[in-house]
Amino acid sequence: MAFLEVAKLNAFYGKAQALHDVSLTVNAGEIIAIVGANGAGKSTLLDSIMGLTRISGDIRLEDQSLVGLGSAAIVKKGVGYAPERFNLFPYMSVRDNLLVGAYTARDDIRKNLATVHKLFPRLEERKNQETSTQSGGERQMVSLGRALMTSPRLLLVDEPTIGLAPKICVEIAEALTKMRDELGATIVITEQNANFAMTLAERLYVLESGHIKAQGTVDELRNDKRLTEAYFGH
Amino acid sequence: MQIIIQGLLLSGLYALIAMGFTLIFSVGRVLNLAYGAYLLIGGYVYFTISQTFGVPKLIGLLLAAVVGCLVGLLKYRLLVKPLKGDHVAVEISTLILAVVLQAGVVFLYGDSSKILLPIVPGVTHVAGASVTYNLLAATFASWAILIGLYLFVRKTHVGRAMQAVSMDNRGAAISGVDPDKINLFTWGLSGALGATAGVFFASYTQLSPSMWVAPLIISVAVVIVGGIGSIIGTLVVAHIVGFMEVLAVAVIAPELRGVFTMLLIIVVLVIRPQGLFGREEL
Repeated sequence: MAFLEVAKLNAFYGKAQALHDVSLTVNAGEIIAIVGANGAGKSTLLDSIMGLTRISGDIRLEDQSLVGLGSAAIVKKGVGYAPERFNLFPYMSVRDNLLVGAYTARDDIRKNLATVHKLFPRLEERKNQETSTQSGGERQMVSLGRALMTSPRLLLVDEPTIGLAPKICVEIAEALTKMRDELGATIVITEQNANFAMTLAERLYVLESGHIKAQGTVDELRNDKRLTEAYFGH
Repeated sequence: MQIIIQGLLLSGLYALIAMGFTLIFSVGRVLNLAYGAYLLIGGYVYFTISQTFGVPKLIGLLLAAVVGCLVGLLKYRLLVKPLKGDHVAVEISTLILAVVLQAGVVFLYGDSSKILLPIVPGVTHVAGASVTYNLLAATFASWAILIGLYLFVRKTHVGRAMQAVSMDNRGAAISGVDPDKINLFTWGLSGALGATAGVFFASYTQLSPSMWVAPLIISVAVVIVGGIGSIIGTLVVAHIVGFMEVLAVAVIAPELRGVFTMLLIIVVLVIRPQGLFGREEL
């Protein structure tokens, strides 16, 4: 039984259909990457798992369906989400942003806060700074930290490195690997940058115009032309 | 001196009046034009229970808050939530609701205004100015409630969730906060605050079916002048409005009492639409 199973997922924004029959599985402890160009439906896929879109099909976490639950209930089931635009609370301090993440995991605050500060020492140094005054890299850290405060077993990270300096990208990649290795989280990331995705993930799914075009391990897909096609067209 | 003391006391009361309105505007992004009706309801509930039936005043005050809270919860469930997202529809229907409630009060209690006996009777003199214990009590109560509210919003999980929803609804949802529940809670809290303010307001002025209008204008002024409201911002602007009124009455003429508040709304809308302290926070 897969840890996360998405079956025949169709997702809609208004009348427009953004995902078509998307199926994928993620095993416990894996890092997988959804790669594809801008507008391929990567964010929609993660939004759908979080209950933020209108869907048909099934999404199961440890064989329990998440369909029809609200986002808050899905967070409580153990899914953490760091979205592309972060959706932080701009006029709250770093610390208060993190504490909002602890809304459903109040017993783990001390432990989770220590974990977040160990991964991102800068967040402890800047705990009183408002996130509206922070750099993109710091916001990404707050966003990942806030997701960790929900005590997630499955972590969804949308475009973890978009717009960030190469040095910060390395830092974020290291943190994601630690989250899997040390915290035992299962991780799904989306990436436009297939090379970055391949350094981090074990398996990839290639998404193009809302359809899964290819899937496989990094070695299987490294020279697959469907991967390049997803970016540059046919 | 008289002006400073009167200004401080009145401003404290105005801060309490505006607070519930600011909360809803920050968290739900909705202009609740029926907000003044909480004050109306609070005032008449207290009048009925404590003045007509002679129940102890504190219980009357509590019951007024409870009724205000219930009205707030019902309003969210039956009106605001079904109209979700349509701000104009919410504004129109809440304004209509206020007028309907006024008609209901006229039907039950008659058209004429009633005098609410002071909650705390007596008068004292501070630096030559005469101050009623009643207004003094109202001001102290309002400061106590505002400080409590500030600590609640800053230090508790639900309070932080209210701030979170006010700044980024989606961010709150993916953090495990249910924005719908937080909105419902805020509507209840706002109703209780409004009704409590109504008891003090009615004991300061008088009880009348149209008593929802002036507090609504004060509240709108505070939100517009202050920008989307922080609790501190509300407090500051309530003092600007309060002192302006006291000055207008003392220096110019009592008839112009509320006029400057309304003019201030227009001036700020034109010059600085985002408000003096305009940023989106609670």
